[in-house]
Amino acid sequence: MSMYVLMRILESAPGRYDKGLRVLTFGRLESAYDRLVSHVEQGQRVLDLGCGTGALALRSAARGARVKGIDVNSQMLEIARQKAEDAGLVDTVDFCEMGVAELDNEEADFYDVVMSGLCFSELTADELTYALEQAMRIVKPGGLLLLADEVVPGSFGKRLLKGLIRLPLAIVAYVWTQTTTHAVSDLPQKVEGVGFVLKSIRLTNLGSFMELVARKPVEDGE
Amino acid sequence: MSFLGYALVSIVGTLLRLVPWSSQTGLLEIGRPDRDSPVLLTCNFRLTVERVRRALRGVDAYLLVANSRGINVWCAATGGLLTNHDVLSVLKTSGIEDRVDHRQVILPQLAATGVEGRVLERKSGWKVVWGPVYADDIPLFLDTQLKKGAGMRQVRFPWTERLEMAASWAFPISVVLALITAVFWRHALVSAICVVWVLALVLYMSFPLYGRWLGSGFRGGAVLLAVFAVLWVAAMLVLASYAFALGYAPWGEIGRWGVLTFAVLGVMLIDLMGSTPLYKSGLHEDRILKVVLDEGKCRGVGYCEDVCPRDCYEVNRAQHSAAMPRAHQCVQCGACIVQCPFDALQFQSPRGETITPETIRKFKLNLMGKRVER
Ligand SMILES: C[S@@+](CC[C@H](N)C(=O)[O-])C[C@H]1O[C@@H](n2cnc3c(N)ncnc32)[C@H](O)[C@@H]1O
Ligand code: SF4
Ligand code: SF4
Repeated sequence: MSMYVLMRILESAPGRYDKGLRVLTFGRLESAYDRLVSHVEQGQRVLDLGCGTGALALRSAARGARVKGIDVNSQMLEIARQKAEDAGLVDTVDFCEMGVAELDNEEADFYDVVMSGLCFSELTADELTYALEQAMRIVKPGGLLLLADEVVPGSFGKRLLKGLIRLPLAIVAYVWTQTTTHAVSDLPQKVEGVGFVLKSIRLTNLGSFMELVARKPVEDGE
Repeated sequence: MSFLGYALVSIVGTLLRLVPWSSQTGLLEIGRPDRDSPVLLTCNFRLTVERVRRALRGVDAYLLVANSRGINVWCAATGGLLTNHDVLSVLKTSGIEDRVDHRQVILPQLAATGVEGRVLERKSGWKVVWGPVYADDIPLFLDTQLKKGAGMRQVRFPWTERLEMAASWAFPISVVLALITAVFWRHALVSAICVVWVLALVLYMSFPLYGRWLGSGFRGGAVLLAVFAVLWVAAMLVLASYAFALGYAPWGEIGRWGVLTFAVLGVMLIDLMGSTPLYKSGLHEDRILKVVLDEGKCRGVGYCEDVCPRDCYEVNRAQHSAAMPRAHQCVQCGACIVQCPFDALQFQSPRGETITPETIRKFKLNLMGKRVER
């Protein structure tokens, strides 16, 4: 099999994931995640989509929330579980091997917060729509949707500049992880499209990284 | 897509075969499908998608394109990049569930190393049928009530595919070589590239002459070495006599050609077996694994026979038993082990260690080291 070179690299990806990401983002991701999680309150039910090694899920659990983290990558989840154990959070956070396509098994109006970091950019177009629709269904009226992800910048100049900067990084990331990501376009419109009301949007990194907070409206408007 | 477009996709896809090339995932309509039309699934390697569509001309069906990260079915499924999740995802999110009344999806047989029919059925209610290895056989497969003969189950290595393989090695090597020679050895650039293509073509076109003696172990290695030696000596003789015929034969120049052909042949031959669908990659000789059958657990249901790309199995449905009369052809893909519903199959290493179906389902081939548990 000629793909063996790439597989070899992939093989070691989950173990190196945390460190690799920190190096690639110069620690900026950490502060973005801290800001997002500041919306989570003690005792709330939280769902983390594509939780990976648990960056958002564990932060939320540390704030006293009851968290479920889902991901399709069992090796990532193993690391996440280990981290939960090390942090003494095993009782409040639960990691499940499950894709966003299985969100239809979740109860309606169940979560106070549905969150996701850097996962939407790995989804196919159909999955992204599906994930948002399901998020709208399973979050309680008045509950929050918290997203942090790579987005396509709004203006042409920034898009071009970003594209140039991104290319070498994308190649490194590709060699590293064997996957490419697609920066999400029109994320706010998509979030509003399924019925959420936007609360705040913060753009960083030349408009290519978005932190988004949205609320599911309570029955008769807000 | 027009013929010209298809030809272009084919050529680019072949030359860059070793590089992933993604196409849009989701639901495609082939012809005019209705609520009872068959649902087929493939990977999102661009070349594959175009080939499947072409093979399906005249058929009314739905084609689901699952996210295999732009890699072909076999490599993606075996390497853990086309998984249960990816198939489940396209079934659930593409909208196909609203378009048909049945719940039966035809998957390419070569996906059986990484996608588990039973898990999908349990999680989604969709029943998996393992279709033919080659897209060209799909129309016949559909016409014959999904009966799949031995011919449709086996991988082949016909000259067309060997030609493609030759091109997909020669092209990237030429690119690298062109960059190197452009700097260090400019006047030899064109000749060097010609030599690469000729060597690749000779190597793959003459495959039937030596192919059947390849294999694992000492003999296989010796055959590989012999092929290498013959090709290298032949290349050197041709080049040297050409030089003498021109009456210009500086030893330094001939020496450089010797190193170049040696290196090029080395790169192409190091994983020759892995470049064919007929053998397992020769690069991990440490893992000569054997499939062992626990007759006590086997109920003769025949999933193994249905998914084995090398036709190793013979299942006796009347006596509810299976046997492996052609075990020597095994490429250690693991498909049979992954699919057996009774866990009657597992790998065994020469040292007697076993690798359970559970481990193989979890780690596939991408965690090569982990397959033999230490
Ligand atoms: C870049 S990682 C981000 C992980 C984590 N949220 C973080 O920020 O560290 C993206 C994760 O999304 C997961 N993922 C990709 N597609 C998914 C899907 N369809 N459903 C659930 N998770 C998915 C991947 O397995 C991966 O762990
Ligand atoms: S799939 Fe398993 S149980 Fe069925 S015939 Fe093969 S070995 Fe026997
Ligand atoms: S017998 Fe060998 S070649 Fe056939 S499916 Fe099993 S592992 Fe693959």
